[in-house]
Amino acid sequence: MYLIFQRLWQVNWAEQWQYRANMLMYLLYWLVSPIMYLAVWTSIANANGSVNGFTANDFITYYMTLLICDQVTSNIVIHIFGYKIQDGTLSGELVKPIHPMLTNALINNIAFKVLMILGFLPIWVILFFLFKPDFSSVALSGVLLSIPAMILGFFVSYMISAAITALAFWTTRVYSIHEFYFALILLFSGQFVPLPLMPKLVQDIAQYLPFQLFMYYPIQLILGKLSTEQIIQGFVSGVIWLGISTVLFNWVWKNGVKRYSAVGA
Amino acid sequence: MHTLKLLSSFFKVNVQMSLAYRADTVVNILLNLMWLGWELLSLNIIFSNTTTLGGWGFAELIALLGVFRLVNTLMMALIWPNTEKFNQSIRDGSMDYTILQPVNSMFLVTFSRITVWRIWDLILAITLIVVGINMTGDTTTALHILTFILLATTGTIVIYSLWIVLIALTFWFTKFDNNVTILHALLDSGRYPATVYPVWLRVIVTFIVPIAVATTIPLQALRGDLNLGQVAIFFFVGVGSFIIASQVWKAGLKRYSGASS
Amino acid sequence: MSPTITVQQLSKTYQVPEREGGFGAAVRSFFKRKYKDVKAVQQVDFKIEQGEVVGFLGPNGAGKTTTLKMLSGLLHPTGGKAEVLGFTPWELRPDYLRSMTLVMGQRNRLSWDIPAADSFLLNQAIYRIPDDEYKKTYKELDELLELEPLMKKPVRNLSLGERMKCEIAAGLLHRPKVLFLDEPTIGLDITGQVRIREFLREYNKRTGATILLTSHYMADVTALCERIIIIHHGNLKYDGGISDLSKKIAPFKLIGMMLTEPDSHDLSKYGEPVQNEEDAAKKYIQVKAEDVTRVTSKLLADLPIHDITITDPPIEDVIEQAFNQ
Repeated sequence: MYLIFQRLWQVNWAEQWQYRANMLMYLLYWLVSPIMYLAVWTSIANANGSVNGFTANDFITYYMTLLICDQVTSNIVIHIFGYKIQDGTLSGELVKPIHPMLTNALINNIAFKVLMILGFLPIWVILFFLFKPDFSSVALSGVLLSIPAMILGFFVSYMISAAITALAFWTTRVYSIHEFYFALILLFSGQFVPLPLMPKLVQDIAQYLPFQLFMYYPIQLILGKLSTEQIIQGFVSGVIWLGISTVLFNWVWKNGVKRYSAVGA
Repeated sequence: MHTLKLLSSFFKVNVQMSLAYRADTVVNILLNLMWLGWELLSLNIIFSNTTTLGGWGFAELIALLGVFRLVNTLMMALIWPNTEKFNQSIRDGSMDYTILQPVNSMFLVTFSRITVWRIWDLILAITLIVVGINMTGDTTTALHILTFILLATTGTIVIYSLWIVLIALTFWFTKFDNNVTILHALLDSGRYPATVYPVWLRVIVTFIVPIAVATTIPLQALRGDLNLGQVAIFFFVGVGSFIIASQVWKAGLKRYSGASS
Repeated sequence: MSPTITVQQLSKTYQVPEREGGFGAAVRSFFKRKYKDVKAVQQVDFKIEQGEVVGFLGPNGAGKTTTLKMLSGLLHPTGGKAEVLGFTPWELRPDYLRSMTLVMGQRNRLSWDIPAADSFLLNQAIYRIPDDEYKKTYKELDELLELEPLMKKPVRNLSLGERMKCEIAAGLLHRPKVLFLDEPTIGLDITGQVRIREFLREYNKRTGATILLTSHYMADVTALCERIIIIHHGNLKYDGGISDLSKKIAPFKLIGMMLTEPDSHDLSKYGEPVQNEEDAAKKYIQVKAEDVTRVTSKLLADLPIHDITITDPPIEDVIEQAFNQ
């Protein structure tokens, strides 16, 4: 098993390395929104002293941390895998004795992620000197705890995206569905603004959804804003959501493959 | 006159193409409405926490959203699909046919693909602009509105010219499929007034990838923030960039035909 | 009247960057690039009168396509002059572009997603063809090529032959006076080739258009052209009637045979063995045309042959043989 993952890593790393120029552009694209929100909210905080208790520095540290968390927890499985179901290249992978989505696509996504983070680190350092955030509230324990929290967040996000991607067995409009899902993340994860600044209704709904595991929760964990109780709550809900999303994915996948082989595409 | 006839022919062909994907059009419009809802909600969240954003009011940001969506529509309806077609035609050699047609090749490259349903988006954008201007009330004069229209047009021309230069570079560097990604990457920065951004970012979106020239600056004209000299400068920047772009395009064609080497 | 096409001392030299392997070489070449001159066309002269159909022949890389591209205006020559219908092609005057056409067998101008009819209407607008004239031309082309059943289907659903018919028709809607055709029958099956050939002959007869075409298939040329121009390594090798050519170059035939033990026989005593990559199962030899009967009967008597074919050698080989010495 270990050997399989090692070999898969070699292949997928080499593949992603080929696309490093594209990656740089993708990185740029991905950076613009958080920096824009950062600028908007610090400008508001500066003009009004603070926003709902958030100072300008709170916003800077929030978005600087968000850049890291988003980078770790997000996934691109729909781009890696969506087309394979539609154009029939999946058939070649289905006959191999490994799960196409939980091995090959997963490793490919992780290779992409590692390369992105390598490119992103120097940019983060530059941004650090440009915005001069005050990270004095950050404690080592929070940073250490955030690592398993972000990994948990990544797997939850990967499983949900994989389930959505597998909808391609039924519909050609899976990219539109994914776009809708993307808007949900924007609304409920704390990506646009720290959740306490969202309308009350949005905050309440967010409690019952997995999306804050991708951003708001690990960010607050790193910034040392959570009580022990909240930290435990977060991990528990992370494990529960991992269970739910894994079951969901397996169900969609199984039925999808059944349908795929029945149609004989 | 002939140009209009040609445009309508292109339009008809593209309507034909999109008719094959009717259901997608409906889905696309729904998604588009969803994003509009999100944009209005996010403005609402911002303004429930403050009265001004970098000195700009809610009404002005609605108008800015309209201008941003206008630029965005231009990108979605013309620039991306035609970039794809252009890169394809370089790869498979059908660029030869484009050059041999008795019509300006820059025109052909710009209009041969049109994402037809985006007309809906265009209407939406103009509505937002009108509503936004209305909400600003009496402070806006007719002169301001005229300079706004003028600068929104020249700003769009600046972005269009940058696009022409970027795709023309393909004539020199054949492996340049990434030619327009930089434009794509920074587009979102047009949602908010560039005056809110830190200086370095403002410099990038004004001078290097001039998204702000088509979004923030026309809005400033609408507010009456610009004096006549500044308006003149931006106008001539628009005209100048178009001239430069067509020269670069011509040089690119020469390069393609081996006339320059 | 002056000739429709006049070519004088036309030359094209490409500069191809020379690159050595290795990282150091790549860095060096970034600062100082070394170029190698490739002479694609060298001082070619010819004239073509109105209404002529001329076959333009030569092996791959001989400079045919380069010449065609210069004559249509896509490429600037590095030297010499060309005049077509009184225009210098590479100035790309709209009036010139409206009076000629370039059809390349391996490229498509029709959009794949929509029916050809819609692309035709777009061409009508681009070439400013008045409605009545468009209808007339379309009717004529339809008569000759039977286009009507193909017009409503998206181009991607057409067969290769059907698509080629549409491509050619799309290039002729504006009634060009000069046609440059680069491999118009490439990839088509025999019936498809014959259709296109017959169409071109008829079109030339009806409209008096001047046609310059390149082809891989000897049959295209023999069926259509009375005159051929041969170019090899960028140089003009032959310009004249097709019948004179066959006298000039020794007429060879290819004998292909299927043998029980293909590699155990020495074929060189019967004729010159040649390689055929497309059909590796057969052994081929080349013999003079007048010896074909004699050699064939000898082969059949001597060897365990299942199957035997006698064909014309590919046009490229003939020219290669005739002009390479």
